[in-house]
Amino acid sequence: MDSRPNDETLLLAVAERDMGAFRTLYERHAGWLAIRLARRCNDRDLVADAIQDTFVAVWQKPRGFRGDGDIAAWLWGIAIRRLVSRLRTRGVAAALFEHAGVAPAAEDQVLLSVEYGDIGQALARLSPEMRAVIQAVVLDGLSAKEAAQLLQVPVSSVKTRLYRAKAHLRAALAEGPS
Amino acid sequence: MTAWHLDDDALRRYVERTDSLAEGASVEQHLLACEPCRGRVTAAASVIEVSVIDFAAVWESTRDAVEVPRPSVFERLLRAAGLPAQEARLVAVASAFRGVWLVSVAAVLVFAALAAAIGHTRGLWLFLAVAPVVPCLVVAAGYDPRMDPALEPELVTPYPVLRLILLRTIAVLALAVPAVLLFGLVVPGVTAFAWLLPAVGFVAVVLAASTWVSPLRSAVAVSCAWLAAIWLLAGRSGSPDAVLQAPAQAGFLALAAASFSIFLVRRRQLAQLRPWR
Repeated sequence: MDSRPNDETLLLAVAERDMGAFRTLYERHAGWLAIRLARRCNDRDLVADAIQDTFVAVWQKPRGFRGDGDIAAWLWGIAIRRLVSRLRTRGVAAALFEHAGVAPAAEDQVLLSVEYGDIGQALARLSPEMRAVIQAVVLDGLSAKEAAQLLQVPVSSVKTRLYRAKAHLRAALAEGPS
Repeated sequence: MTAWHLDDDALRRYVERTDSLAEGASVEQHLLACEPCRGRVTAAASVIEVSVIDFAAVWESTRDAVEVPRPSVFERLLRAAGLPAQEARLVAVASAFRGVWLVSVAAVLVFAALAAAIGHTRGLWLFLAVAPVVPCLVVAAGYDPRMDPALEPELVTPYPVLRLILLRTIAVLALAVPAVLLFGLVVPGVTAFAWLLPAVGFVAVVLAASTWVSPLRSAVAVSCAWLAAIWLLAGRSGSPDAVLQAPAQAGFLALAAASFSIFLVRRRQLAQLRPWR
């Protein structure tokens, strides 16, 4: 494609203690990682700390990337777990970002249902708590324990909510479009 | 790499968080695999009105965090032994662990080699003269402000000085004693360990004296007194046995106990460490 070094090359250079490559890696990834983290936690300081922890971890163990899959996915795995660990050590009740903060306009609703079909509608009908669990466990791939720390609820609640959310989705999809 | 990319509206909705969960999830899945779209999100992250975080500041602190040298092996050992990180740092920065300790151990090595070369009796005298004073000199150097520029800010910070000095003393001895012990084995005879009690006694004397004068000064004084005593004894009897027998050893034990008691009684005077400068 272009002459810019790819992420694997940068990571190898970071392993050789190349600060310039480290900076490039930071500039390339900190932005989208922070935006994605901020969708999970609306405490900006915690997100900043998690980003710093992520890149410190990368600097210390650049060979933690085994070469399978995308470096972006590897970075995200580190970042979301750093955020969880920050939440745990601070013991703060960081309010999770309320996803349905801005209600889509009616036209958008129609567009969304056309674009994403029944699953989008079914998800939209879930309570915010259940959506948060679905997001943490199904979409972010966290364990029930990690999700519990991220959402600041007991592990048992994560498991029940996940179970109920799946049941809701299953029922909604079986029912078909309303 | 797919030809499909995020359209600008979807990108804006994602960054502004006005999208639905399903749409956001689909965007995130695409981002993991698509470098150009990641770049667009990253670019948007720094220009949206309410920026997510201060990327320049986070970069600064990240760089600072990785540029801090990793704790030394010794410091990590102290932490593994259960010492809080801050105290481990205080103990480990003692200059005794850099130059002074190496120099004194090298001195003992040289004297031990000399002792072995000179022969049994005189070599033993030489070793007995040097080995007991090394720990007290190293301990003194371990917390003398002149030897350790890092000590002054430590004494300014509210921190129990007694605790710091005891921790450092224990740490110094933990390093110095095995080394000297090892070299003691080079010296012929079964008396390789006889210097231990005098050494403990001298360290206690230095600690006690440091409530009056600078530890380095008292350590030098103790060393000179010991060297003079050894000189006299060697001139008179010619045999090192006198130092090694039970009465003399009991005397050293009493000296250690008495000095340490004085040190504990007068420990409040340690707050005046700084006027030594």
